[in-house]
Amino acid sequence: MTYEIQPVEIPNRQRPHLIQMPAVETPKPIAEAQEQVQPKVQIKDLRFYYKNYEALKGINLTLHDKRVTAFIGPSGCGKSTLLRVLNRIYELYPDQRATGEVLVDGQDILDPRHDLNLLRARIGMVFQKPTPFPMSIYDNVAFGVRLYERLSPRRLDERVEEALRRAALWDEVKDKLRESGLSLSGGQQQRLCIARAIAVKPEILLLDEPASALDPISTQRIEELIADLKSDYCIVIVTHNMQQAARSSDYTAFMYLGQLIEFNTTETIFTHPHERQTEDYITGRFG
Amino acid sequence: MITIYVRRRAANFAILSLSLLATAVGLLVLFLILWTLLRHGLPALSVAFFTESTPAPGNAGGMINAIYGSLVMTAVATLVGTPIGVLTGTYLAEFARGARLALVVRFINDILLSAPSIVIGVFVYGVMVARMGHFSAWSGAAALAIIFVPVVVRTTENMLTLVPASLREAAVAMGAPQWKVIVMVVYRAALQGMLTGVMLAVARVAGESAPLLFTAFGNQFWSTDMNGPMANLPLVIFQFALSPYADWHLLAWGGALIITLAILALNVAARLIANRSSFSK
Amino acid sequence: MEARLDDPAAVTAMGLAPRVMRRQRLGDALFRGLTKAFAIGVLLLLGGVMVALVNGALPAFRKFGLGFLISDAWNPVKDNFGAVPAMYGTVVTSVIAMVLAVPVAFGIAVFLTELCPPVLRRPIGMMIELLAAIPSIIYGVWGLLVVAPVLQTTLQPFLIDTLGNVPLIGDLFSGAPYGLGVLTAGMILAVMVLPFIAAVIRDVFLTVPAMLRESAYGMGATTAEVVRAIVIPHSRVGIVGGVMLGLGRALGETMAVTFVIGNDHHIHASLLATGTSIAATLANEFTEAVSNIYTSSLIALGLILFVITFVVLAGANVLLWRLSAREST
Repeated sequence: MTYEIQPVEIPNRQRPHLIQMPAVETPKPIAEAQEQVQPKVQIKDLRFYYKNYEALKGINLTLHDKRVTAFIGPSGCGKSTLLRVLNRIYELYPDQRATGEVLVDGQDILDPRHDLNLLRARIGMVFQKPTPFPMSIYDNVAFGVRLYERLSPRRLDERVEEALRRAALWDEVKDKLRESGLSLSGGQQQRLCIARAIAVKPEILLLDEPASALDPISTQRIEELIADLKSDYCIVIVTHNMQQAARSSDYTAFMYLGQLIEFNTTETIFTHPHERQTEDYITGRFG
Repeated sequence: MITIYVRRRAANFAILSLSLLATAVGLLVLFLILWTLLRHGLPALSVAFFTESTPAPGNAGGMINAIYGSLVMTAVATLVGTPIGVLTGTYLAEFARGARLALVVRFINDILLSAPSIVIGVFVYGVMVARMGHFSAWSGAAALAIIFVPVVVRTTENMLTLVPASLREAAVAMGAPQWKVIVMVVYRAALQGMLTGVMLAVARVAGESAPLLFTAFGNQFWSTDMNGPMANLPLVIFQFALSPYADWHLLAWGGALIITLAILALNVAARLIANRSSFSK
Repeated sequence: MEARLDDPAAVTAMGLAPRVMRRQRLGDALFRGLTKAFAIGVLLLLGGVMVALVNGALPAFRKFGLGFLISDAWNPVKDNFGAVPAMYGTVVTSVIAMVLAVPVAFGIAVFLTELCPPVLRRPIGMMIELLAAIPSIIYGVWGLLVVAPVLQTTLQPFLIDTLGNVPLIGDLFSGAPYGLGVLTAGMILAVMVLPFIAAVIRDVFLTVPAMLRESAYGMGATTAEVVRAIVIPHSRVGIVGGVMLGLGRALGETMAVTFVIGNDHHIHASLLATGTSIAATLANEFTEAVSNIYTSSLIALGLILFVITFVVLAGANVLLWRLSAREST
């Protein structure tokens, strides 16, 4: 996209390129929203390094409980990296490290003394491509539950069913729970991964471009799912799809070159962005 | 210009013909060997072949003691070698990527993979047979296990490395400790490939004879005593084929046929499984 | 006992977290330690083989000194031994095998990568690899009972009549056609190492970037020219690695050689004559060795063989590793 950016002030409501907010959803008044929400995650001066390359350059951000926060920005802006810090999954790779503070309920999870496995059990993650484990559908969902809880077979069945129902997959798989998770379609596999993540009843759900590899119908189901899960979880979604961010999130963080450029309610970001870069990006004039 | 082109075309034709010929030679040898084995080996296969023990020259007999010995020693080598190979391969692929110890182990393993098997026989003779004072099926199985391990180490490492990182990340993100990630997720994902490795290793040791010469030694009679010398197919083939007796030659051909067919079948099956399980990128 | 994670306060209050954590950490440490122990075990195994061989060979080296390496004596009755005849046979049979196998392996690799219809690539490649799966003992039986008699009446008389009269190399092809002998052993070895070399060369050929190949074809080059000008220069390191891998196999090959080499401790100028190799000597004589010095000399031979193959295989692996490192970066 190389066409010129028009430096003319146009009243916001008339801007032709802005993405339409879904009409069905009544925008929440900001003041009211702030009364209800609790800060769940506080990120303070977070820096992240791949070897010597600084991928995140001092991020400060608060994520709210029972709300969906979207990270948007061009490829390589650090949005996925930021997500991967929240459950310290990056620690699988020795040459990656993070500095700063990430407080979850006031506890710094970057503290090396913080137990990694327990942290990750509290924070569910769904990846860009579906990652069903090579085991049955049932065992996929029960995998995380069995790690930390000793449930009777009947209770476990209930948990699996509950998770699959919430992930809107139950009706499609209830007759083939013993079949391999790999036998499902791509969209079903992704919902299986969501079911697997929510079966352990995490506090935070991280979604890394969960619909980028899916067809439109599966994408729609996943978005419905996010709207439904929002009432219980602090949800963070990374997406390169701005319509998706606009449709499914309450807050949006726009990142660029490892920096947080702008963070606000989704409505504000998409209708009254304060930063020129944000506006250029969401109107597709970025580059 | 045209003459140059004609000459180039001719050179191309000649070289490609030679490459075709080379492949034909390779395939011809395979079929010649199989045909020879079938021609000489099939007449040897009878009920007695599978029910009686190896005879003295001039007497009737079969190979059951050798078949039993081969099966038992291969089975013991498999039971011992598989866990050792899988765990070592796991260390190389999961715990020590890039570590110096892993580099050294991988290097040594690749050498052991092609090391002369007769030397392994000498080694086991020194550490087991000489100390125990007698040949034994245990020492034969130990020699086979030593040959077995490097094959499994190599394939296990390769197969685990092929498991996508995203699967590991997904399991780790569930809060699973690393050993559960490996045992419950990564192993399952790589299972078919690892099975291929084990099958190839079984095929490799089942045909080994050199390391058994001075360990299991061989036994003309039926024996199930793991502490004593035990017959096995490759050794009996060796002994009988080099003998001057026609009836021993016949038994040797029969033994050669069945062991070759078994090993080739294992190889083909392993390759078919491996092709089926290859990961989509 | 029921652990509930949906209530983090309860988790901490119950003291569950530290317990689960401890158990998991212990599990991780145990598993890691276990795998590491076995990995170190592989190293110790190699060390053990070396120590056992050196230990067993010491009496022979003490008695004969380094002269063992240059003596051609092999006299069990007088307990006088030297490594030269066996080393000579090992090296000569392996060289013959390489001279015969490398061009054929090359041709197979060219065929499989450039000429073969894609549908047939896998089956033909697999059949060539099956040659490597056939046990050594089978090659021995086949060589002894089928190949040697045929060579005795066809190739060997032909060689004696033709090359045997050529000056300089005539001695290599003189004497009577026995069927068995150094040349026959080398030929059987060639078949045995062929699949290993062909597989490696094919694999390195396949690493040549398609773009390079296509741009050469785009210039109007013929297949042979592309192979010679693009594929081979690009794969040189891997080809050498594959050839060395095959050589390492050939040097240590035992049973097939034992069947057809003739087991003769005298060195003859003629390739048609009988000889012996280190591995064949061990296979034939190890269990019959009566005196300590005889056994020790045999182990010393084994040590020499192990060291030679170790060096060759190490070289092969270094070359092939460098290649795969280049591929991955």
